[in-house]
Amino acid sequence: MKKRYYIVLLRVLAPVLAIVLSALMSSIVILAIGKSPLQVFYTMFKFSLSRLDSVAIMLYNATPLIFSGLAVSIGFRMGLFNIGVEGQYLIGAFLAALAGFSIKGLPAVIHLPLVILCGALGGMMWSFIPIFLKVKRGVHEVISTIMLNYISYSLIHYLIADVFIDKSQKLIQGLGSILSRTPKLSPSAMMPKLHGFLGLFGLQLPRHVYLNWFFPLGILTAALVYYLLMYTPFGFELRAVGQNREAARTVGIEPERVYVIGFLLSGALAGLVGLSDLLSYFGYMDMDFPRNYGFDGIAVALIAQNHPLGIIFSAILFGFLKRGAEGIQTLMGVPREMVSILQALMIMSIVVIAKLMNDYIKRLEKKEEMMVCSSENSSPPA
Amino acid sequence: MDKAVVLRGITKRFPGIVANDRIDLEVEKGEIHAIVGENGAGKSTLMKILAGIYQPDEGEIYIFGKKEKITSPGRAIELKIGMVHQHFMLVDRFTVLENIILGAEKRLGIALDEKKCRKAVEELLSLYNFSLNLDARVEEISVGQAQRVEILKVLYRGADILVLDEPTAVLAPQEVKELFNNLRRLKGEGKTIIFISHKLDEVLEIADRITVLRRGRVEGTVLPSRVTKEDLARMMVGKPVMMKLDKEPVNAGDVLLSIEDLVVKESSGKPIVNGVSLKIRGGEIYGIAGIEGNGQKELAEAIIGLREASSGRITACGRDITGLSIKEIRDLGVAFIPEDRHRQGLVLPMKVWENMMLGYHTKKEFLKGKSLNLKAIRRFTKNKVEEYGVRLSSIEQPIEGLSGGNQQKVILGRELSREPKVIVASQPTRGLDVGAAEFVHRELLKMRKKGRAILLISADLEEVLSIADRVGVMYNGKITAEFRPEEVTPEDIGVYMLGGDVKAGEGK
Repeated sequence: MKKRYYIVLLRVLAPVLAIVLSALMSSIVILAIGKSPLQVFYTMFKFSLSRLDSVAIMLYNATPLIFSGLAVSIGFRMGLFNIGVEGQYLIGAFLAALAGFSIKGLPAVIHLPLVILCGALGGMMWSFIPIFLKVKRGVHEVISTIMLNYISYSLIHYLIADVFIDKSQKLIQGLGSILSRTPKLSPSAMMPKLHGFLGLFGLQLPRHVYLNWFFPLGILTAALVYYLLMYTPFGFELRAVGQNREAARTVGIEPERVYVIGFLLSGALAGLVGLSDLLSYFGYMDMDFPRNYGFDGIAVALIAQNHPLGIIFSAILFGFLKRGAEGIQTLMGVPREMVSILQALMIMSIVVIAKLMNDYIKRLEKKEEMMVCSSENSSPPA
Repeated sequence: MDKAVVLRGITKRFPGIVANDRIDLEVEKGEIHAIVGENGAGKSTLMKILAGIYQPDEGEIYIFGKKEKITSPGRAIELKIGMVHQHFMLVDRFTVLENIILGAEKRLGIALDEKKCRKAVEELLSLYNFSLNLDARVEEISVGQAQRVEILKVLYRGADILVLDEPTAVLAPQEVKELFNNLRRLKGEGKTIIFISHKLDEVLEIADRITVLRRGRVEGTVLPSRVTKEDLARMMVGKPVMMKLDKEPVNAGDVLLSIEDLVVKESSGKPIVNGVSLKIRGGEIYGIAGIEGNGQKELAEAIIGLREASSGRITACGRDITGLSIKEIRDLGVAFIPEDRHRQGLVLPMKVWENMMLGYHTKKEFLKGKSLNLKAIRRFTKNKVEEYGVRLSSIEQPIEGLSGGNQQKVILGRELSREPKVIVASQPTRGLDVGAAEFVHRELLKMRKKGRAILLISADLEEVLSIADRVGVMYNGKITAEFRPEEVTPEDIGVYMLGGDVKAGEGK
């Protein structure tokens, strides 16, 4: 029985080991650009963790990644690769923005949830196309979601620049042209920041921090996804389909049904990815609306090995790296690409270490079973 | 005269297990020496050591009196040891001749000297009296012929010691006879044969001496004339084994499963089940014998709804189930034990208790509100584990860590504990050792006594004949003959397995 705890410990240890290994490897890269790895890492930690505003920014950075990590992980769990989170969150964010600027006069308690719902709906709509194509026509979801990402880029571009462009923008007399952006969202659609709440505990966040209620909402969502996966019949079906589709089908589970529901759920979560930025920082959608959260979500999910609660931590880790990158860039003149390299190394080492670790754990379990069997066998025959 | 093979104190350890524990073995030149033992007794490991695939941790090997180290499969061939694997290693699209010479071609400069190769192989054919068409493609020949190709491959490479790993597992009785004739012929020409098997009748028939392995050790070497099948089984298992199952007479009840004119087509449109009709009553086991690939698997899958019937009707428990979903069919009381445990029966990385509820996870007793009642599921699993004697360290462990027999017990526990009325069991004892197979048979007979209708599909004729009430032979998508087991011999059935009157061993 003791061994079981050992195995659990090894599982938790795997990502930690991967982080250490990737740090070691990136040290080599840091040395190559003539800096001291120790100093770089020290600066990163100090800058990110010793200041209240940095910690808050780190969590703000992590917020969209929690949602996109969860969205990707649900796909992975049922054996599908949702690369389309990227497009799904842009469509979701746009639909949320639309509900935010076109509806006026609603109280915030109704308007904000409505806007969030629209975000989820947008993501869901965009994820329906690839899963419909997959289940009905056998189109591989990787291909269709990648292509839909490009379509979403152009579609958003068109909607913002041509259809919904804010014509009420004031120009300085005869100078320049108006910005390509949507009208501003009603204040009732905006997500309150966490400043007031944290103030109750004596934590005063500065104004340049945009940490908002989407962060706790993300944690809550992760917990809900965890519950769904581990404690509900549907979650069980989803995992069963993901790990052995044929066996699931043989015992009466319809993989296609699981795929559709699971993918729509993944899309709905993806639709929430951009909302933290939209509803607290931007307040409108423009051409500079952040991209790549969908792809980062893949890395976040991989590092967490698709564990919903692990995703919270790996998202925060990415938030930390992003904030730390700002630190080493301004304080030490290290290019922020350095951090991209670190992230890439981390993903590679997690994949390798997770594989090694799992093999090792399997061997342990085999051994354990042998011991159980042989101890039973060696009792004298009745 | 020097002995062909002498092993002294061969020990091979794997993490957590001693696969071969101080094995001593002497094989005379020109004898057929059988090695028997249950799955996991260490037969395969020992053979892989002889073939140069594994290196022993301890011990010495003498080949024709000289101490040797068999460091690689290539070295084994140099020492004139040829391995005939259980799973054929042939290139389907090459001809028989090409397969035989592949990797050991005779050359003319840099070109292949086909004439010389063909002559050499033809000489072998006539020397050992093998019948084979050298220009047939391997994909067109029968299993028995493919095996002869494998044997010729090692002979062509000059082997004097042939190691055959479970050679009869895939053969029909007639093909087994043919194989045995070939082996006797080889022996007559002075070849030494090491024959691995767990089929005791065959071993007693063909071997000059028999060495029994049990749990990595040599239990003893015996002469077939001095022992009975029961003796061998006892040596293998370590305790007396009931060779005859007590099959009580049961009064057959109502027809619970009836199939009328069932046709199932492959995706190419070719019918793979082609007009099968049968009726099974409660308390009856209907066995289907046949060489694999004649539509048995598809028949089973059509019954439980995994495959669409393109015509015909399936009725279970009085209801037409043709076209119903798998879930609906299962809910009506049809249980399925699939032939491929790992692919269809279990989700290997999942825990034992998760596998135990698979397919039944929406049953009321496993739910609490809309969530899973993990407590109830674990309790149920613990009960079943105890009832069926599943050996495991914890029900939390992934099921892939369990042995094949224990995995099958979990499937039985899951499928049989819900009082199904119809049971479709496809190759339920494949890959299981004697003890576990006996357990499966007893469970099926228990279900028979309880009045269930059971369809048993098996490639193991002995199994079908020992527990079925009626036996149908499936060939080419049809049931070509039906018998009561007491009125036929395996040879009779074998004729139909090969497609009727086709000459033994040449069935195609």
